[in-house]
Amino acid sequence: MQLASTIRGVSYRFASVKEVLAKANPPKSGDDLAGVSARDAVERVAARAVLANMTLRELRENPVVPYELDELTRTVEDELDEQAYKAIAHLTVGRFREWLLAIETTGATMRAVAPGLTPEMAAGVCKLMSNFDLMTVGAKCLVVVRANSTLGLPGRLSSRCQPNHPTDDVEGIIASMREGLSYGCGDAVIGVNPATDTAQSTAEILTAIDEVLKRNGCPTQHCVLSHVTVQMKALELGCPMDLMFQSVAGTEAANKAFGISVKLLDEAWDLMKAKGSTKGPNRMYFETGQGSALSSNAHHGADQVTIEARAYGLSRRYKPFLVNTVVGFIGPEYLENGPQISRAALEDHFMGKLLGLPMGCDACFTYHATMTQDELESLKVLLGIAGCTYLMSLPVGDDIMLNYQSTSYHDIPTLRRLVNKRPTPEFDAWLDAKGIWRGDGPGPKFGDVQAIR
Amino acid sequence: MDALRDEIGSSDPLPPIPPMPVVPAPPERVYTPRPEKSAFAEQAARHTTALLGIGHVGTRYATNVVLQFQAELAVAHAAVGAELPDGWAEQNGFVGVRSRVTSHREFLLRPDLGRRLDEASLEIVRTRCTKGIDVQVIIADGLSAVACMQTGKALHDAVVRACTARGLSVGTPIAARFARVWLEDEIGQEVGAKVAMILLGERPGLGTGDGLSAYVVHAPKIGNTDGDRNMISNIHLRGIVPDDAAERLAALAQAMIAQRCSGVTLDLGRLGEVTGGRGYRAPQVRQRLVES
Repeated sequence: MQLASTIRGVSYRFASVKEVLAKANPPKSGDDLAGVSARDAVERVAARAVLANMTLRELRENPVVPYELDELTRTVEDELDEQAYKAIAHLTVGRFREWLLAIETTGATMRAVAPGLTPEMAAGVCKLMSNFDLMTVGAKCLVVVRANSTLGLPGRLSSRCQPNHPTDDVEGIIASMREGLSYGCGDAVIGVNPATDTAQSTAEILTAIDEVLKRNGCPTQHCVLSHVTVQMKALELGCPMDLMFQSVAGTEAANKAFGISVKLLDEAWDLMKAKGSTKGPNRMYFETGQGSALSSNAHHGADQVTIEARAYGLSRRYKPFLVNTVVGFIGPEYLENGPQISRAALEDHFMGKLLGLPMGCDACFTYHATMTQDELESLKVLLGIAGCTYLMSLPVGDDIMLNYQSTSYHDIPTLRRLVNKRPTPEFDAWLDAKGIWRGDGPGPKFGDVQAIR
Repeated sequence: MDALRDEIGSSDPLPPIPPMPVVPAPPERVYTPRPEKSAFAEQAARHTTALLGIGHVGTRYATNVVLQFQAELAVAHAAVGAELPDGWAEQNGFVGVRSRVTSHREFLLRPDLGRRLDEASLEIVRTRCTKGIDVQVIIADGLSAVACMQTGKALHDAVVRACTARGLSVGTPIAARFARVWLEDEIGQEVGAKVAMILLGERPGLGTGDGLSAYVVHAPKIGNTDGDRNMISNIHLRGIVPDDAAERLAALAQAMIAQRCSGVTLDLGRLGEVTGGRGYRAPQVRQRLVES
């Protein structure tokens, strides 16, 4: 394997596949913080030239964290579909990019090879792609999942309704949820981040949401995003739970800092199959985000895009109903500004979809990142066109508990009209019956909270 | 090609302009804190500060909602962008120190540098601060210098009173600039404090930049991690008021010294009532920022 390239007579040498992957990455403050980024734009291109000539087989044989050291690497390696792998193993990363972009390569074809791809392959080809490339391939990918409703069909754009409250006041949560539903939001999930991480509180919130959904015949899913062990206890208490949530990262060590392991997630998944309240077959919900491994110093010297892809490699094991990157949440030390956050959102969506996940995105910024509201609105349009499965939704995009800015109840219907998309078929029919959304525009009850009892 | 052009419209590709429309004034949309126009908004405002019942124009916001949102965003950004002025520490009776960070941008991008004292500050801590105390209290800018300047001194003084009342000795008052939470480890280690406590501006939310968080650690030393700390957040006038927070913090420090540990291993069993948990919080009201 050749780990050197020459640009204008200057030759660049790299010590490892991991270094090539890191230096091929577009600029990210988190890679600078980790000390793994290219020193300038020319070295970045030199790394990309090396990467373009590497084969997918070589990427499989050189995972950024060794098999012996990391259960995520073992999970991916042991479960890889050898037949699908054989179909693409001979391609260089450069040729793989071209194959993905070819008109003849359809979403169905990509679905066939997805089980043979490792996270390093998805991350590798991502680094050779521009934002347009990422959107072009992302929009072709077809990932459809089902719980109470059917998510990810072509021409659909869904949303999580996120009625968070700083003290878990159930009436406050329900008021926000009713308003969200009246704007056509919440067809992916009604998902609450609790302020209090207890089984009782989780069960209490889920039960209250469940009552509203049942009373209104609303076809969606619910979830309270407490720690997986807390949700397992809540499930044992006997509360309704359509989806089980956990934050996941891309290395065993980073997941240990989250208090999880493959074994624990296996147990959680088994429990959901036995006691979860949805018809399935998809029952899990994962959130990720570039930089989460570095924040616990568990990145093994790898760049944050590659580590992010590895979190998707783990998620794949559990056939999730929802996976989304919380792209701008972790802060400017990982993604400094609008261009970096936008780029990362398109990267994460592309990599997740390529690996076969129903990928959504929390397009967001914290108030100490350098991103304007207009830049965030533009990103939502990019994601809508790129085929992003779902976005978040909150009152004016303001999370009053987690203190950051995301997608609003008003943004979802606006975006659906702009990019000509509809909610899930089940939810679409329900909105029509309620008079909230008719065809491609607002119905007589749009924004009228009295439509939700 | 001619046939195609005829089909599109031979002379003008657009249909003729319709007669001038009558444009009625849209109904006035009222922002939540004046909820008298919407029963739902009134009901919701009793339970949440989320902006609910704000109506819509088409699928977008009414103009007064846009202005309120932009004003709140400006407040949050101003809080993040503010810096402690030179001399602020000394004018308010603190010994001023700073981290190894040299600019505000570097502060946001390099958390590692914000966790260590620069050389001059290390010398100041070594020569001018009382050693061998029970509790070292530090106030700091963190992610909101505005919060530090507004309530930092009041909280500091309340904590000192609460600690003294419990018989704990307190170190020289220190104010730190460009500080991250873990800076308390180096300062506490240098002065040989049993417990270090840093009170710093927290990440602002929309329309708010006045919240402080407090992080308390037993046996402060470089290399401690988040699991070694206990914290209280949302210290501001609409959340946990400084006097209540000070009582809880002093109780935490006393428990740490008694149990010789902090963080996940600290037994909070008997501290429940004083240190809160899921305690009562006064209902918050979202402040209307644009009056006209």
